[in-house]
This record gives sequence, C-alpha cells and structure tokens, in this order.
Amino acid sequence: MSALKAFLATPAGRFILRYVVILSVGFLVLALRPVSQRVVYPYTTFVAHEARIALNLFHEHATVTGQVLSSPRFSVAIYNGCNGLEAILIFVCGVMAFPAPWRGRIIGALVGFLAIQVFNVVRVVSLFYVGIYRPGWFNVSHIFVWQSLVILLAVVLWLGWVNRYARARA
Amino acid sequence: MPAPERSGGLKRFLVRLPLALVGAVVIWYLLRAVYNPALCAVTQFVARTYEVPPASLIMERDNDALIGRSDLRADSGWLKISLTQIQFNLVPFLALVLAMPRWFGGGGWRRVLIGLMVLALSHVLALLWQAKCYEAFSLGPWSRATYSDFARNVYGGLRYFFDIPVTFTLPLLLWVWAFPERVFALAGMPAPAATR
Repeated sequence: MSALKAFLATPAGRFILRYVVILSVGFLVLALRPVSQRVVYPYTTFVAHEARIALNLFHEHATVTGQVLSSPRFSVAIYNGCNGLEAILIFVCGVMAFPAPWRGRIIGALVGFLAIQVFNVVRVVSLFYVGIYRPGWFNVSHIFVWQSLVILLAVVLWLGWVNRYARARA
Repeated sequence: MPAPERSGGLKRFLVRLPLALVGAVVIWYLLRAVYNPALCAVTQFVARTYEVPPASLIMERDNDALIGRSDLRADSGWLKISLTQIQFNLVPFLALVLAMPRWFGGGGWRRVLIGLMVLALSHVLALLWQAKCYEAFSLGPWSRATYSDFARNVYGGLRYFFDIPVTFTLPLLLWVWAFPERVFALAGMPAPAATR
C-alpha cells in the first residue's frame, strides 16, 4: 500500500493513474449505445467516405453503402475497431493526462487526431489494394501489420508530442 | 543537458521500432501455429471447469476458433471467429520491447516473460467471453432458457471490454510496467523508481 502511495506521489505515477482513468471513461463512453449510434457509426461511415475519395483519385469508382466500401474489383466493411477511434483515444487520453498547459494539450490532440485520420485512410486504401492484388495476405496485413502499426503510431505521436513539449520547457 | 539525451534516446528508439515491428511480426507469424491450438485448448478447459455438463467445444481451424457445444445437435450451429483478432496485440507488445536497446538486461527478460503471460491470460479470457456470448445470445430457445438477461449483459460487457479496450491498451500498459524508467525517460519524465 505504501509502495503504491509512493508510486502515485511521483509525476509518472500520477500520469499513469490519470491516463488509466481517462482511458477507461473514454472506452466506457464509446460503448454506450447512444454514443455508438450517434458518434461511432457516423464516424466509421465518414472514414469509409474518406477512403472512397482517396480510392477514386486512383479511378477505382468506389462507392460507400453504410460502412461498406465497394468498387467493381473489391469490397471491405469497416467495423468498430478498424476506424482508428481506439488509436485516437489512446493518443488523446495520453495527451490529456500529461501535465502540460491546456493550449499544448488541445493543439496536440487536434494534430494527433488529424495524423491518425490520415494514417487510417492510407491503411484502408492499402488494404483495399492488398485485397485486390494479394487477397491471401489480407488477413495478415489487416490485423498483424496495420492494427499493430496504428497502436504504435499512437505511441510514437505521443512520445513526439511529449518530447517537443518537454524540450520547450527545458 | 537532459533534453539532447532524451532526444537521442527517443531517436534510437524510433529508428529501431520499424525493424522491431518486422521482427515481432515474423516471430509471431511463426509461433501462432503452436499458440493458436494451445489457446483454444486452454480456453476450452477453463470454460468446462465451471459448467455442468462440461460441454463447451473450442477448436482451432486454420487460425480461426470454432465454438460450439457437444450436448447440442451437430447442426445447431458453430461460431467461427478469427484468433488473429484476439492475439494480434502480442505484435505491438513485442515490437515495443524489441525496440528498447538491451531490453533483456537487468531482469528485463523476466518482466517481458510475465508480460507475455498476462497477455496470454487476456487472450484466454477474451476467447472465453466470445464463447459465453455465443451460448448466451445465439442458440435461440436454449440460450434464453440457460442464460438470464443479467448474465447476457455481463457477458456482453466483458466481451466488449476484452475485445477493444484490453486488446488495444494492455500491450502499452505492460510495456510501461516492464520498463518504467526507460519509457518515462523517453517521455522526458522522472521515473517512479528514481524519485521513490
């Protein structure tokens, strides 16, 4: 008990506690049915449309129906877990839990959100082409490579943001 | 001057990370042929330890889990779920570990081993909640007769918790737990042990 108290008395301990609390609340809120219906599903559809626009730059004639992205050559359904919201939550909660000025946190959260958005569109588009040209690799690319990359991107962005902020303070 | 030191450590970490990710994917791609059947067998054993009659069936087929029951008709339906979706978080965990220079020193290998065991336990529980949800929601009258609304809500909540929050955040928390001083040094924060 005293070891826990000593841990929580350190800046790192307080950061971890704040991070876990904010992250838990974030995931709980995302799981609520009204939030799911009014935020998560529309957001996932928005991601599908972003990917459609990107694919049509390559003349794919892609369309979106609900959360299904289709072209004459391939289709993918974008589910919860594939929309980048988890990485955004991991990153934004890390930014919000870090003891930085609010201006820095808000700018960090917005920039990180946009970066993860762009990364996720690249991910969906690349998976679309993997599905067309190497369907046998789709599962491995989708889960092993891209889901891992999205998690690691959130960590790297957070480390970058913290270092930039910490260096500015030093 | 702490800032350049910190920045140098972060640079080294970022340079190593892509290679570490490739290494983690290769390790895991090779090991999953052994891990997936073991995961299914352990989960089936855990599921059967507290059910009467012990009839849950969880089998591995081509990196998927087939979930059913031996006391129902063979045509009563099976659930097929991707085991990769359950255990992929070993890849980011291994990548973050391998990206740390000399991660195995100072008892690091022991903490990594414990981290891997915790992740494996989370995979067993994730698969178990998938099986319980299948039984509680998908077997028609049998589900309604066997599971209460309360049980369905509990299993549904556990499945979500292990499917998304645990899967995505546990590797990060275990990485921080295994190397607190070095992770906080990357972030430019005083480590817990140093200030204790």
